[in-house]
Amino acid sequence: MKHRTLTTLPPTSRREFLQGVGGVTLVIGSSGLITACSPEQAAQMTRDPASAITPNIWVTIGSDDTITIQFPATEMGQGSSTSLPAILADELDADWDNVVVETVAVHDTAYGNQFFQDMLYTAGSFTVHAYFDKLRLAGAQARKLLIRSAADHWGVPAEEIETEPSVVIHSPSGRRLGYGQVAAFTAVPEALPDVDESELKPFGSHRYLGKDVPRLDMQAKSDGSAVFGIDVQVPGMLYASVLRAPVEGEEPQEIDDGETRQIDGVTDVIRLPWGVAVVAETFEASKWGKEALRVTWSETSSFRTAELEADLEAYAAQAEDLSQTGTAWRETGDTAAAIEGAAGIVEATYRTDPAYHAQMEPMNATVNVTEDGKAAEIWVSTQTQSLSILGAAEFLETTPDKITLHPTFIGGGFGRRTLRRQKYVEDALYVSREIGRPVKVIWTREDDVKDGTFRNAAAQKLRAGFDSAGKLVGWHHRVAAPKVLEFMNPPRWEAAQGRDVIAMLGSESSRYDIPNFLAEHILTERCSRVCAWRGVSTSYTKFAAESFMDECAATRDEDPLEFRMQLCHNNPRARGVMEAVAEMADWSRSREGTGLGLALAGYHLTFAAGIAEVAVDEANGEIDVLNFWLAADAGYLIAPRNAEAQLEGNVIFGISNALRERIDISGGEVRQSNYYDYPVMRMNEIPNVEVRARSTDNYPTGIGEIGLATTGAALANAVFAATGARVRHLPLTPNRVLAAIRG
Amino acid sequence: MANFTINGQPIEVDADPKTPLLWVIREHLKFTGTKFGCGVGQCGACTVHIDGSATYSCLTPVSAVEGREVTTIEGLSPDGSHPLQEAWVAEEVPQCGYCQSGQIMRAADLLAANPDPSREEIIAHMSTNICRCGTYSRIIRAIQRAAREA
Repeated sequence: MKHRTLTTLPPTSRREFLQGVGGVTLVIGSSGLITACSPEQAAQMTRDPASAITPNIWVTIGSDDTITIQFPATEMGQGSSTSLPAILADELDADWDNVVVETVAVHDTAYGNQFFQDMLYTAGSFTVHAYFDKLRLAGAQARKLLIRSAADHWGVPAEEIETEPSVVIHSPSGRRLGYGQVAAFTAVPEALPDVDESELKPFGSHRYLGKDVPRLDMQAKSDGSAVFGIDVQVPGMLYASVLRAPVEGEEPQEIDDGETRQIDGVTDVIRLPWGVAVVAETFEASKWGKEALRVTWSETSSFRTAELEADLEAYAAQAEDLSQTGTAWRETGDTAAAIEGAAGIVEATYRTDPAYHAQMEPMNATVNVTEDGKAAEIWVSTQTQSLSILGAAEFLETTPDKITLHPTFIGGGFGRRTLRRQKYVEDALYVSREIGRPVKVIWTREDDVKDGTFRNAAAQKLRAGFDSAGKLVGWHHRVAAPKVLEFMNPPRWEAAQGRDVIAMLGSESSRYDIPNFLAEHILTERCSRVCAWRGVSTSYTKFAAESFMDECAATRDEDPLEFRMQLCHNNPRARGVMEAVAEMADWSRSREGTGLGLALAGYHLTFAAGIAEVAVDEANGEIDVLNFWLAADAGYLIAPRNAEAQLEGNVIFGISNALRERIDISGGEVRQSNYYDYPVMRMNEIPNVEVRARSTDNYPTGIGEIGLATTGAALANAVFAATGARVRHLPLTPNRVLAAIRG
Repeated sequence: MANFTINGQPIEVDADPKTPLLWVIREHLKFTGTKFGCGVGQCGACTVHIDGSATYSCLTPVSAVEGREVTTIEGLSPDGSHPLQEAWVAEEVPQCGYCQSGQIMRAADLLAANPDPSREEIIAHMSTNICRCGTYSRIIRAIQRAAREA
């Protein structure tokens, strides 16, 4: 086995090649810098048949049979570092045992994700979705090249050549050559062979896809050798700990560092615009030095007045004030007229508290800024190579080519590591530039919570209109939430022209056939730092929409499953997952003392339906989740076993959040500190979770978040089924359940 | 200055006696398989063995291991072949993987004392450790597999 997983490309290695684009060929040179040159120059650079050929930007075939596949995403637990190479290897007909995976470490739009402005960006369950076709075609193209080369070499028609893993075969003459042998005499032509979709393997005929190729990252993650950002050490580095302003936007005023400077190992105390850094020879000295600082802070920030409870009430008032129009996220028909003219109207308002990612690896970065302050080497756990590079370049007021990035495994992402300006990287950039040495910054868990970028608070008003025949004719979903995308990435917000996918995803409810539909974003002031969270915004938009769907069914006195099935009459995939989950849960069987709650979710092109079974202690309001069933259809499954693990994990993540996870903000400060006051689910708290992901002939889409989109509403609906009480505030804390029970 | 044994090797460390063992292991000695998660004994990512018992290294001052034997994930087996490690790979337990060294060290402590634990015993023992990715049911399966195959 030659598997090396997630090798990052050394910045000094000779990186060859890219594809022709409009007569200009993009080449990544020795610096990692992308330059444009003529195809002739590119060909000269790339033709090195003695060692390896690179048929396209995605794959290199060595004369030693090694097949190196470029991985354009981040491995954060979702398994893409196995799935993506397997997609290419399958079409190439590569011997999987000779595959080596390299993570792309540059900002190069040729490797980018089309759903994120062609940036290298791992989020939104979009990795397989974005790269499936590209990698299939790249693999097929490389295979075709090898076949043509072997045909020329043997003087036989290409049509007579077949392949087995990493071997070309000419059966009529009984000749065989390994891919490495063919690579040794193959020159990559200027015009690469065209491949179209009809030449790709049909679904169901793959060698690796759908067959549970073992994940490449398992051994390293079981023996301690996997390298995460926090594990990096570089020669000559110092440590820095940063005391940050308690309220966003405040600055240090008086700094008393007398005690700090007494601590053995502390070498420097540096005032930053946003805090005070203590530099030391060891991490512990920097941490103790930080704890010994006495700092007074400015008191001018507008965030000092941020109060979650009051702010959420203000959001709710905005959501309920129908004279305030927002930005349409999805609109069909004339919703206002349909609801005004309806025979019956149903309305409800839902609230969600902010949530913390609680990823296991706290934020950290190791950075070496050059003497002139205009270039840097960065080691960081990131979900986006592109933004880590672009953000650092902006911070240093330099160009992206001056930033050398070393991505690593990451200890949980969930959206936390997707911002353009990464404050943990900026801590290290600032200090390294100041002291002229490499610096490692590690945030404590408390830093990570206090300076968290949370799933935003939101209030949502839903209204539905029924005609006199009882048909749902109008649906109005008003999401009062801040401009999350603007905070995460201002240029992307600019390009989005007001459409904030991070605040609105899930409110489109497009699985249902409702003739007049409006989901709109009512802009509010943010009361904390904000960011995408696992499932983007679906954890709250689906909580509201699918709770409300049950409320609508209840007013019609209809079964929640049957009610949804009718609205999905023209959507077989949605009906399919609901039928499957109903069977898993034995939906129609009546229960004693427990309630079942259903939720349907769509996430891009993935479908899932979840059913929770709960018992509620009506004396104290505590919810006991007994079972959670989930059925998903993410199309053709690349890795069925991993898909199940992902679904199960994100259901647990979702239940944990829906039951108790909340960030509170008061006086602009985050009230929580660590896992003891932001408790996430432990092994002894998880319910029985059963998931079913059926492989279908649909295009493969994401699987790492869809389950979570069902959890909040399924639980709230189950509480309603068990008690008759409707809880419209996430998380479903015992006091809220109790208040709902007592009416 | 502290003297102790790490993964079978006697070692002398020049660190303040109150330094948490975690930071000595990770940053001084570069055994980075042991992870920092919370610093307050809440998550278990820092779990190591001290004289064979699973312990939060983030709460243990280095002075407390004077003369004692510390084992980290790197020392659990010479080549990642401890029955738990093999079971972790076979069951494909890890997702992001960050908590898994701590989970395995915690589980090794269980199996050393109780080679055939019940499901309830596994859950009671392992609930000190958090996995944000939600790999709990596979952790249970892997411990059961290791117990079966060891």
